Amino acid sequence: MEKEISATSRRNVLKTIGAGAAAAFTLGRLFQPEAFAQQEPAAATRMRTFTGPGANPYWNSVGKIATFPQKAPLIMLTDRPVQLETPRHYFLDPITPNDAFFVRWHLESIPNEVDLYSWRLSVEGNVNTPLQLSFSDLLRKFKPVTIAAVDQCSGNSRSRFQPRIAGGEWGNGAMGCARWTGVHFREILDMAGIKSGSIQVQMEGLERGKGPKGMPSYEFKKSLDLNNPVLDESIVAYAMNGEPLPMLNGFPVRLIVPGYFATYWVKCLSWVRLLDKPDENFWMNPGYRVPDTPRGDTSPADVKAGKVKMVPITRMPVRSFIISPDGDTKIPAGLPVTIRGTAFSGSGPVVKIEFNDSAHGTWRAAELGEDLGPYAFRTWKIEWTPRRAGTYQLAVRATDAKGNVQPDEGVWNPGGYLWNRIERQEVTVGAAE
Amino acid sequence: MKDPRGRLLILLIALSVVSVVVAGAVYADLEIGYYSPENLGSITQPAPAKNHADAAYTISSFPLYTPELVPGEGRQDVEAYCNTCHSPSYITMQPPLPAATWEAEVNKMGRVFGAQIPTESQASILKYLESHYTPETRKR
Repeated sequence: MEKEISATSRRNVLKTIGAGAAAAFTLGRLFQPEAFAQQEPAAATRMRTFTGPGANPYWNSVGKIATFPQKAPLIMLTDRPVQLETPRHYFLDPITPNDAFFVRWHLESIPNEVDLYSWRLSVEGNVNTPLQLSFSDLLRKFKPVTIAAVDQCSGNSRSRFQPRIAGGEWGNGAMGCARWTGVHFREILDMAGIKSGSIQVQMEGLERGKGPKGMPSYEFKKSLDLNNPVLDESIVAYAMNGEPLPMLNGFPVRLIVPGYFATYWVKCLSWVRLLDKPDENFWMNPGYRVPDTPRGDTSPADVKAGKVKMVPITRMPVRSFIISPDGDTKIPAGLPVTIRGTAFSGSGPVVKIEFNDSAHGTWRAAELGEDLGPYAFRTWKIEWTPRRAGTYQLAVRATDAKGNVQPDEGVWNPGGYLWNRIERQEVTVGAAE
Repeated sequence: MKDPRGRLLILLIALSVVSVVVAGAVYADLEIGYYSPENLGSITQPAPAKNHADAAYTISSFPLYTPELVPGEGRQDVEAYCNTCHSPSYITMQPPLPAATWEAEVNKMGRVFGAQIPTESQASILKYLESHYTPETRKR
């Protein structure tokens, strides 16, 4: 009994002290309003799900988070056909996990089921021996090869364009790097035997649209010139990071065209056709074309005036990104932090990555991460110690083996393609006392 | 005898001290244990697949997260025709686009992609997009 009373009274004493301390704390803070004015939690409002008419200021696009079969929660641009963007933090690693890999389909009928009992990869058209290869033929009859390569949508970062372009309003996350295992595309073409007079090879997958047959809203086809050296590096991949491809990334097999934009990386590849005439279907012309100008840059006025010659999109320009810090977290002055990011180029390896912490500062070389091959992501890091409180504009730029350096100007073309401007991240450095 | 003005002054001082403390308490609340006033919602987990040892590789149906278009005249035409090939998320994802851009898009769907939209409905779709999805008109 006595014990209880004493416990109660001790509690009361503690309560009183606590209340007094809280009041003193509160009053103390009230007399230095600047001490807490900045500490209110971030606004509870949700993000708007569109940006514009100005450029999208965020790293990723602003769609809602959604889950799809075989996928981690990703940023959804559209639900039918499916377009999903990879959230920023996944790019700290040079390999993008299969379940986080971005998704972009043109037509709404995407396979939910592929029966390998009946599925065949057909090689037809201008060939000596038409082929019907089963999945197991691909596994057994050819030597497996593996290449790490970045797959990037032609319209990645389209939401940066000014004036804005109608289309998939991607932030920076319509890209990913995987280790692709499969068969050299050339070996398959050689097995069929290319007849003389062939000039292009056409690829078609299983996707279908609701449009009339023969229209681009019904089928998606892409072609490459047979004399294009990229074919020597291309593979028909049946594995992605050592696992079957997710259906949304092209199960059972997908064409891998290292260095080239994803438009040629046909998913659920099922028909390969040798052509003796250039492919003029919509997805080759006028689809996926860029101005025949330096960097593919032009203006709305020149396009309107009919001054711009358009050519098929090909290799990806050099790019680099700051992944962390992402600007969401304040950094105390004097604390050394590691700035991390990634880079790649469609024209061979990235050889230099430089970091800058202001608009007029000097560029410092960053430390390069693991080398997974010339077409893979190359991660980078650099230690940075902000000395004074304030707002900093961190910047990164990459140089590839061909000497291409990222410019500090945007680009504009009617498709919203080829964005590779130097990326910046604003970070706030707070006082440490 | 006390001056009523003095009492009023004391009362005012007491009131302001109380309000300052209350205000302080509100700020203190903002710093710890602060939960969103809104319910942000969530989505149910997809059910695991039931697989068999045959050669058929199956995934579950693709989920729909179809956004609601702004109510207004012409929305029915958008839903009847545009939705054939794609979800309205293709419209809501766009930045506010000038009327001329919407016109080019609607024309492209017909001429290039082969969408069979009666002229009347095409005009009504365009009017709807111009009324709700341009820099001047877009609200959400």
